[in-house]
Amino acid sequence: MKRRLPRARRSSWHAYVLLAAGIGLLAGTGCGASSGSSSSSASGGSTPSTPSTPVNNTQPIQVGAGPAGNDINQLMTSINICVPGTSTCQTISNVLVDTGSTGIRLLASQVTLALPQLNDANNHSIGNCVAFADTSYAWGPVRIADIEIAGELASSVSVQLIGSTGFPAVPAACNTGGSNNDTVQTLGANGILGIGVLRQDCGSACATSGSQLPPVYFSCTSTNCSVTAVPSQQQLQNPVALFPQDNNGLLIALPALAAQGASSLSGSLIFGIGTQTNNALTGVQVYATDSNGNFTATFNGQAYSGSVVDSGSNGIFFLDAATLGIPTCSASPSFYCPASGVAYSAITTGANGNSGTVAFSIANAQSLFVTGNTAFNNVGGPNPGAFDFGLPFFYGRPVYVAIEGQSTSAGSGPYWAY
Amino acid sequence: MRAVAAIVLLSLVTVPAWAALGQARDSVQSDQRLLQGRLSTVEAQGYTVHQITRDDGGVVKEFVSPDGKVFGMAWQGPTMPNLAQLLGAHFAEFQQAAKSAHRRGPLAVHVGELVVETSGHLRSFRVRAYLINMLPNNLSPEVVQ
Repeated sequence: MKRRLPRARRSSWHAYVLLAAGIGLLAGTGCGASSGSSSSSASGGSTPSTPSTPVNNTQPIQVGAGPAGNDINQLMTSINICVPGTSTCQTISNVLVDTGSTGIRLLASQVTLALPQLNDANNHSIGNCVAFADTSYAWGPVRIADIEIAGELASSVSVQLIGSTGFPAVPAACNTGGSNNDTVQTLGANGILGIGVLRQDCGSACATSGSQLPPVYFSCTSTNCSVTAVPSQQQLQNPVALFPQDNNGLLIALPALAAQGASSLSGSLIFGIGTQTNNALTGVQVYATDSNGNFTATFNGQAYSGSVVDSGSNGIFFLDAATLGIPTCSASPSFYCPASGVAYSAITTGANGNSGTVAFSIANAQSLFVTGNTAFNNVGGPNPGAFDFGLPFFYGRPVYVAIEGQSTSAGSGPYWAY
Repeated sequence: MRAVAAIVLLSLVTVPAWAALGQARDSVQSDQRLLQGRLSTVEAQGYTVHQITRDDGGVVKEFVSPDGKVFGMAWQGPTMPNLAQLLGAHFAEFQQAAKSAHRRGPLAVHVGELVVETSGHLRSFRVRAYLINMLPNNLSPEVVQ
């Protein structure tokens, strides 16, 4: 459990000013000289208000190999980004749908729009750092964009532009030593749509100046960056919480799969919980998470308290080969390779005391990979400290993600329901 | 004593930010300064734990054997640590083994005498690493947490 710190006093968010990026905003049309993933569309300088008729809250999602072409179980969608308050927009395809992180991160190489830079009170550019459990990291400036997904709009959202040219190099405090996710090949996507249970990528821990800060936000001159505080409202956000409606969470619905997997798969990302006819909270149990987005999974009587539901992980990662009595794969030692499929079950328990059994199976990953299929409900690998219920968990099982502090018919988030 | 002082001073200048896995414990003090954390030391049965706690919630534990070598390290915090510093000379070995095809998620690497496990997600990460051949006699690797 982490302490909750009071909001920043000295550097309140209104001290932060938005300045246009070096290139003139008016010059960018957003539809010229773009790659195949770019297009122009009208967003209208919309003024959010409670709609009299429901908006389209359903976004198509697809599972496949991703734009790098060699991944498995990559859950992708498209989002539309716009210069704030304008109809100058661009579609970014192949954005990873990730319930294990918060915030929108886009490869700068995929963004043709000139988006305004977030600056601090000293007119220094704000940079953002993120690292993932696989030890890879990403670095880039924080820019402001309107975000359109399905019929929903989040206005003036902080996003990270990964690998921007002309921005200072990766600060030492951001470098994990792992790979830099600054290309389609290393990131495995054109960007990340982080829509987990938490509202911000860092929250109050990064908002209070004067105390020790995690190396997440940096204040940058033209050459040098140092860790700084950024108010929660200006941090990378779960954009769903910023929608005018359908903003208390989301539902990921993917069809069930046969044991041999599928070459590709389509499903729906539905915004809101109990806000429209297509997202009623029925037939599921609610599992509250702690303030860090963790809950407990119990296997053979052993409890793993740091467990998660993470659509951005491409397997079910748990325990180790010795404990399970199955080998890892010779060619891919980070996956399990039992001779034939093995059925397992774990008990998941929320911070609200609710618990239920999750059944899943693990098959020989190596023999599945050589089929050329890319969607599998039965691949997994070692992770001795916790259960990571990755994308295989989602097939044939609607999963609700309730955002912290947002109310639903089953109480406030953060929680998962399935 | 002068020679000892000189060696310590030298280590402050040249060692990586953290006492790396497999190295001597001498750099714990400099780690504390660089991490700007509070240092506490716990004597356990057969080993010593030096713990550096940062205000942002990051905690580094360095597990030291009776002969003064760091045989294990553990990290818990809101961000990921620098694995190159944590693993020192063993980092290249780890990096090579971690390059397993297809995996996107936490890592569990066991190569030679080196074991490294990373897990978690944004705002909540854990890393543990140890050297099997440097574990003090009869000590379970489970103590490295």
